[in-house]
Amino acid sequence: MKKHDIVIIGGGAGGLAAAQGASAPHLDVLLLEKDARLGGILNQCIHTGFGLQHYKEELTGPEYAQRAIRELEGLPITIKTNTTVIAIEKTTDFTITYTNESEGETTIRATACILTTGSFERTRGAIKLPGTRPKGIITAGSAQRYLNIDGYLVGKNIFILGSGDIGLIMARRLTLEGAQVLGVAEILPHASGLTRNIVQCLHDYDIPLYLSHTVTDIRGAGQLRGITISEVDANFQKKPHTEKHFEVDTLMLSVGLIPDITAFNGLSFAKDNRTNGALVNQTFETSLEGLFAAGNALHIHDLVDDVSAESLLAGKHAKAYLENKNQKAASHIDVLVDEHINYCLPQRIQCTQDTDPITFSLRVKAKHEKATLKIMQGDKVLMTRKRQHLAPAEMERITFKNVDRLDDQTPLSLKLEVS
Amino acid sequence: MMYDFIIVGAGITGAMIARTLSKYDVSVLVLEKENDVGNHATLANSAIIHSGHDPKHGTLKARFCVEGNRLYDTLEKELKIPLLRSGGLLLSRNAAEVDTLKAIYENAKLNNVPGMKLLEKQALKAKEPNISKTVIMGLDLPTTKITYPWEVALKAMENAINNGVFFAKNTEVFAMAKTENGFDITTNNGVFKSKQIINAAGAFAGKVAAMVENHVPYEVKPRRGEYLVLDRRVKGFLNHTLYPVPNNKGKGTLIVPQVHGNILIGPTNTPQSSLYATPNDVDALSSIKENADKLMTDIPYHQVIRTFAGVRASIDHEDFYIDYSREVDGFMHVAGIDSPGLTAAPAIAEYVVNSLIKSKTTLDPKPNFNPNEPECTMYHALNTAEKKAAFATNKRYGKIICKCERITEGDLMQHITRTLGADTIKGMKKRARVGSGLCQGGYCEHETIKVLAKASNKDQTEIDYYDKDTPVLLKETKVKL
Repeated sequence: MKKHDIVIIGGGAGGLAAAQGASAPHLDVLLLEKDARLGGILNQCIHTGFGLQHYKEELTGPEYAQRAIRELEGLPITIKTNTTVIAIEKTTDFTITYTNESEGETTIRATACILTTGSFERTRGAIKLPGTRPKGIITAGSAQRYLNIDGYLVGKNIFILGSGDIGLIMARRLTLEGAQVLGVAEILPHASGLTRNIVQCLHDYDIPLYLSHTVTDIRGAGQLRGITISEVDANFQKKPHTEKHFEVDTLMLSVGLIPDITAFNGLSFAKDNRTNGALVNQTFETSLEGLFAAGNALHIHDLVDDVSAESLLAGKHAKAYLENKNQKAASHIDVLVDEHINYCLPQRIQCTQDTDPITFSLRVKAKHEKATLKIMQGDKVLMTRKRQHLAPAEMERITFKNVDRLDDQTPLSLKLEVS
Repeated sequence: MMYDFIIVGAGITGAMIARTLSKYDVSVLVLEKENDVGNHATLANSAIIHSGHDPKHGTLKARFCVEGNRLYDTLEKELKIPLLRSGGLLLSRNAAEVDTLKAIYENAKLNNVPGMKLLEKQALKAKEPNISKTVIMGLDLPTTKITYPWEVALKAMENAINNGVFFAKNTEVFAMAKTENGFDITTNNGVFKSKQIINAAGAFAGKVAAMVENHVPYEVKPRRGEYLVLDRRVKGFLNHTLYPVPNNKGKGTLIVPQVHGNILIGPTNTPQSSLYATPNDVDALSSIKENADKLMTDIPYHQVIRTFAGVRASIDHEDFYIDYSREVDGFMHVAGIDSPGLTAAPAIAEYVVNSLIKSKTTLDPKPNFNPNEPECTMYHALNTAEKKAAFATNKRYGKIICKCERITEGDLMQHITRTLGADTIKGMKKRARVGSGLCQGGYCEHETIKVLAKASNKDQTEIDYYDKDTPVLLKETKVKL
């Protein structure tokens, strides 16, 4: 059985950056990608808006992917495309079974493993939409793939449920391709996608956004014929007599992404039920020694730039893990959040001599014009930062530098003081 | 050509009757208006092979349920269909329910249900750890099994075809006329002639019967059943099929482990006028949860991946209606096949052929009848040596199409080229489970379309989701160079 030092699963933005971070002349790094080409979902995101932070330049998705691929040139990394991981287990090492058309099912071993498997789209079944189940209900990412990779349009008259970024981007894209986008309904009182996408993809094309609305009926037997949306109250219950009917052949869903860690069911590591991903420390190591996670497989990001930055770090830490493997396991403290914060990453901190700054990524639960973010340990305030225009759709980051001042017995807490 | 028998409808009942008739030297044609076998009640049900405890003693339902349950053991060997021997537990939560439970036990004894036992709380908890604390007594029904209904109907029809039965899909019956020695049956694909007609049209049986009878002896009263589907990764949360004590509205909400690891919760029982449309209703889905929580604690609802609804082919009689027409010679009703129809189907077929048909027609056994169908095992279910051998002959077993359910391109090809191969996305899902997992087709649908298009030499826009005119891809946007 072939043995590798680090195996990275998933060759999208996360996997590419993780491979770059993990690579070293003395290490055997293997990158596995299920698709025929590297780059993952970036390949179907043909719009611009990528790379402003990471590459200091505005790029399309495929351009961004190409940049990331080029960064691996000359590095000692083995890449296998068209290769799907089907099982992964851990004893002392990781045992990974993958399959492809040239080797068939093959089992290899690895000392460390990085999950950069991205995310999948929440579907109709998961949100239990009422009505019939005709053809014509499709997730936004699937419709995007059909249009931008395969070159096929899925419908002519389209309604979009959910104001996630992919849905907004697709509203514009489908309009440009000649389809009629009749509207976007969002069950929350605020949009889920980035403000720039609301403006550039809906407002600029006069596509109405129905906030506090959801789909309450779907009609059609074999083919979708129409939908009904209704206004909802604060408890998401439909308000009577607020129905609006639309004759559409396509209902596109943009109702959220879920980290895809399904291939790793054979592994036992702690999960965070707020992110649906793994629980990690500041090195992006999960509770299972040697298992790292980054990118959308860890938690859902707004920007690919953040995925790259995070995954590069995860790769570097995996490399450091290989190099310092014989060090004794350090103790951990938990990172707690208050009621205004939905989740924060990392969820725990490893107390080591290492004094690298820690960047926390967090999402708030509701919109706030102004708030103060505090990092505390017990009653002691370690750091305070003022923030403006906080929204659940926009990930917040705060970098904490005085890691050496942490007390290794008391949990760290993040508090958001709202006025 | 004058057929000896035309069967209208290729659901589980029609398919089983066709297979049983294929044992004899007669000509049989099955007409199906849909583009596949088992697209209605057979498609959307609980997948349970009931023990036979529930139907009232003395009814056809009771008799065929117990007999059908036994026949599934033979079908497993001959047709290589999956069977999960889950066993069933009928659960009661208060004194009144215990009384009903005991009455069902007495009824079940009369029905000759084998191996039953009354179980107290402790014994139930030992069998099913996540059972609700409020449950006080249960009836153990060890012969309760689970199958994969679409595969049963497909395999039965394939076996019938391989033994000489003709099958015409996409063929809808519009009119029937009695002739001197049989019937003329007008369809969208021409007129067919047959000496006898067996009406196994499920919810459409009333419509079909009215084409020849002035007074159809029953009225179809469709009732909708809705379900929640939990991802296969919940496997192990539940081992037995759990039944509540029934009430006047039917069997109630069941919790059912499936052969591939999923759990089904449902069904509801709502009368509806349409024979077709099966809309899900938000209130019904919350009532399913409320009822299921009475039987089990901590049901992982966050693992719900899909909801669906099916239509029962119920009639205004409590029992099945299986008999020759009293008005028209040679026309047979097989109607009202609601629960336990899936279980009863093989026994219904035996009764139709051996009791009803043989009472008026001589049937000569076909000497070369072959009851067996080949194994159709998924690649992931093979052992290491078998996998190696399969991959050596076909590299496409190395390519995963559906990551969630571990389905390879080789598996897809096997289900395209089998006797009743898939030609739609839904047909592929029924056969190979592609798109049945967590992502519900997000990862694999575009790959499935490509495989189907390539295998049939069609453009991707010609690949339908359900039936005709339901392509996923409407038009090509790129200009070919």
